[in-house]
Amino acid sequence: MKKFLGVIFLMFFSQVQSQESWFSGGFYSNMNYYLNDNKTGDFDEEHRFRSNNYLNLDGNWSNFEVALQLEGYAPSALLNYPNVYDQELGISAIYATYNFNSGSITVGNIYEEFGNGLVFRTYEDRDLGINNSLFGGRATYNFNDKLNLKAVYGKQKAGFDLSDGSIFGLDAEWYVSKFNLGFSYVNRFQKMPSTNDFNEYTNAFSGRVNFNSGNFSADLEYAYKSEDALVEFGFVNTEKLFDGNALLLELGYAERGFGINGTFRRLENMNFYSDREMDSNIDNQQWVNYLPSLTKQHDYALSNIYIYQAQTRLSFAPYQKAGEIGSQIDAFYTFKKGSTLGGKYGTKLALNYSVWHGLDADFDSTNKSYTSEFLGFGEKYFSEFALELRKKISKQWMGILSFNDLYYNRQFIEETSGEIDAQVLNAEGIFKFGKGKSLRFVAEHLWSADDTGNWYGGTLEFNPSSKWNFFMTDIYNYENILKKVHYFNVGMSYRRNQTSLRLNYGRQRGGLICVGGVCRVVPEASGFGLSLSTVF
Amino acid sequence: MSPTEPNVNDYAMRHVFFAIFLVMVSYTAVSQTQLPHIQLSNLDSKTKELPQFLRADISVISFWATWCIPCINELEAIQEVYDEWVEAGFELLAVSTDTQKTVSKVRPMVYGKDWEYEVLFDTNQDLKRILHINAIPYLIVVKNGVIVYQRTGYNPGDEDGLFQKLLELKK
Repeated sequence: MKKFLGVIFLMFFSQVQSQESWFSGGFYSNMNYYLNDNKTGDFDEEHRFRSNNYLNLDGNWSNFEVALQLEGYAPSALLNYPNVYDQELGISAIYATYNFNSGSITVGNIYEEFGNGLVFRTYEDRDLGINNSLFGGRATYNFNDKLNLKAVYGKQKAGFDLSDGSIFGLDAEWYVSKFNLGFSYVNRFQKMPSTNDFNEYTNAFSGRVNFNSGNFSADLEYAYKSEDALVEFGFVNTEKLFDGNALLLELGYAERGFGINGTFRRLENMNFYSDREMDSNIDNQQWVNYLPSLTKQHDYALSNIYIYQAQTRLSFAPYQKAGEIGSQIDAFYTFKKGSTLGGKYGTKLALNYSVWHGLDADFDSTNKSYTSEFLGFGEKYFSEFALELRKKISKQWMGILSFNDLYYNRQFIEETSGEIDAQVLNAEGIFKFGKGKSLRFVAEHLWSADDTGNWYGGTLEFNPSSKWNFFMTDIYNYENILKKVHYFNVGMSYRRNQTSLRLNYGRQRGGLICVGGVCRVVPEASGFGLSLSTVF
Repeated sequence: MSPTEPNVNDYAMRHVFFAIFLVMVSYTAVSQTQLPHIQLSNLDSKTKELPQFLRADISVISFWATWCIPCINELEAIQEVYDEWVEAGFELLAVSTDTQKTVSKVRPMVYGKDWEYEVLFDTNQDLKRILHINAIPYLIVVKNGVIVYQRTGYNPGDEDGLFQKLLELKK
C-alpha cells in the first residue's frame, strides 16, 4: 500500500510544475551527543551520538494535495525514545487528498479527532514519540454547512509498522442555531485467541452537545465503550469482561476583562488501544482515544516536576483502580488601566484549581469484579491551586509572579510509593533595551518536606538582537540527601525567519516529560544537543 | 514489517528521495505557498475555511497556546499597540493549538485578557501540521492569500520589528 502511494506521489510531482500549484516542506532534526558524567552516571548504551530527523514534503495541485513524511533515527533514536522508531530512514507517513466542493477523500495516514477525543483521536507529538495516525481511508461530506459527516477506516501506525487491530469510525455533527450536536461511533477489531466465544469487536459510542450564546458556553459529552477483556500486566483475560464510560461537562462565562470556566470529568475503565496487548504501555503507543489529565499545564521547570497523569484504566493489582473523577476551574481577570490594582498598564490575574480522585468502587479481587458509584469520590490522587499575576511595569519592564500549591499521590499515580505536598514560586522579569535587545530572567523555588525536598532554579536569557539568544538555566535539589545535582543547561540559538538553530550543553533531569497531559519517562543524561528546524 | 512494504533502507530509494528533495527545494524558491483552505472554528463556534476569516489586506496568523508563556508575552505585547495595527490596516488572528488538555482555558483567557484578536481553534493541530510548524510561538504573514513571511520563536521586542516588516510589505 505504501509503495503504491509512493508511486502516485512521484507521478504527481512530475506533473505539478506546469499547473497552478505549490510545494512546501519542513525539516526538523534533533541531535544529541551523550557524555559520561560523575553526577548522572556513565553513558553505557550503544551510540553516544543519536538523532531524530523529520522531513516533510507537500505538494498542492488544484484540488489535490499529497504529503510525505520521512523519518530517520540515525544511528539510533534519542535516549529512551519509544523503540518502535528503529529505522535509519523510513517512510513514516504518506497521504493523498482530493477536495471537492462539499467534502474530501483521503487515502494514507489520517489525523482526525471526534468531538473531545473521548472515543477517537489520532495525532503526532514528536517530543513524546507519538504518531498514531490511521493508515487507511477517510471521507468527509458537508451538507450546506448544517451537517458534517466523517468516516474513517484503517490500522493505526505503530512506529514504521502497523497495528494488529483495525479501526472503523463515523462522526456526525449538526449545527442547529446556537447548538452543535455530535455523535460518534468507533469500532475496533483485533483477532484474539480465546477458548470462550469472546467478541473480538469493541464498540464505542459518544454523544455530545455544545452550546454557545453571548457570554455563556456549555459543552457536554458522554461516551460508552462496550465490554472488552481485562488486561493485567500485558495479559489479555478474555474470561473477564468489563465495559467503560466517560462523562465530560464544561460550563463557562466570559465578558470583557473576565472569564471563568469549570470542567467536570468522570472516567471509568476507558483505556482503549488498537492492540489490546499494548494496554498501559509506557510509550503511549496505539491509543485510540485521547484522555489527557485536566490540570494546569506549566511552562516553568520546577512546576513541571510533579505532573498529574489521568487515571483511566481498570486494575485489580497492584492497586485497585477503576478510573478517576474530578474537576477543574480556571478564571482570568484584568484589573483595568488606571484602577488602584491596575496601575498605568493594567494587571492580569489567572487562577486555576484542580482536584482529581480515584473513582470510588467496591472491588472483589478474588473474583475480579467491582461495583462503582456515579458520584463516588475515592482516594485523592492530585490537587493543585495556582495563581499567576502578570504586570507591565513600564515601557521597558514586564513581570510575572506565579505560585502553586500541589498534592501529588505518587503511590496511586505512578504505582510506587509516597505522597508529596509541595509549593512552587516563580518570578519572571523581562527588560527591553530597545531595537530587539532584551534580558529575561526567572527565579524559582520549590518547597517540600517530601521526596527530594526543596529545589531552587533560575534562568537567564540575553537577546542581543532579535536573531540571537544566549541562555543559562539551572535547577538544583539542594536538600536531597542521596544526590545533589545541578541540572544546568547553557546554550545559544539563532533564528532567521522560519529557521532556527539551537545548541546546548547540560544535564537532563530524569523523570517524566509531559506534553499536553501525556507523559514519557526519560532517564538522567548529560551531553551536547543541536537542533535545527526549518520550513520551506 | 510486512513483506508488502518497501524496503526504504535500500540505497537507491534513498537517492531517489534525496533527488526529489533537491528538486522541491529549488522549486520552492520560486513558488509561493498559499494559505491552506482548512476548516477552523472561532470563539462563537462558527466553522469556516481559514481564508474566509481574513479581513485585512495584510494578516498575521499567530500560533499560540494557553500554556506557552512566550506566546502570551508576544500576544500581550501586540495587544498594547494593536490600535496602531488596525489603523495601518493590519490584523492578527490568534490560532490556538491547545489540545483537549487545555482548550477549555482559551475562551476565558481571551476574554479575561481582553484581547481583540479573532481567535481560532486548531485543536487537532491540522493547520499547524500542514504548515510544518514544529514549535510555538510561530507566525505567518498573509498578503492576498499568499504566505509572504514566516517567523519562528519570540524574543521580547520582536513586535517592533514585526510592525516595521508589515509596513514594508504594505508598500
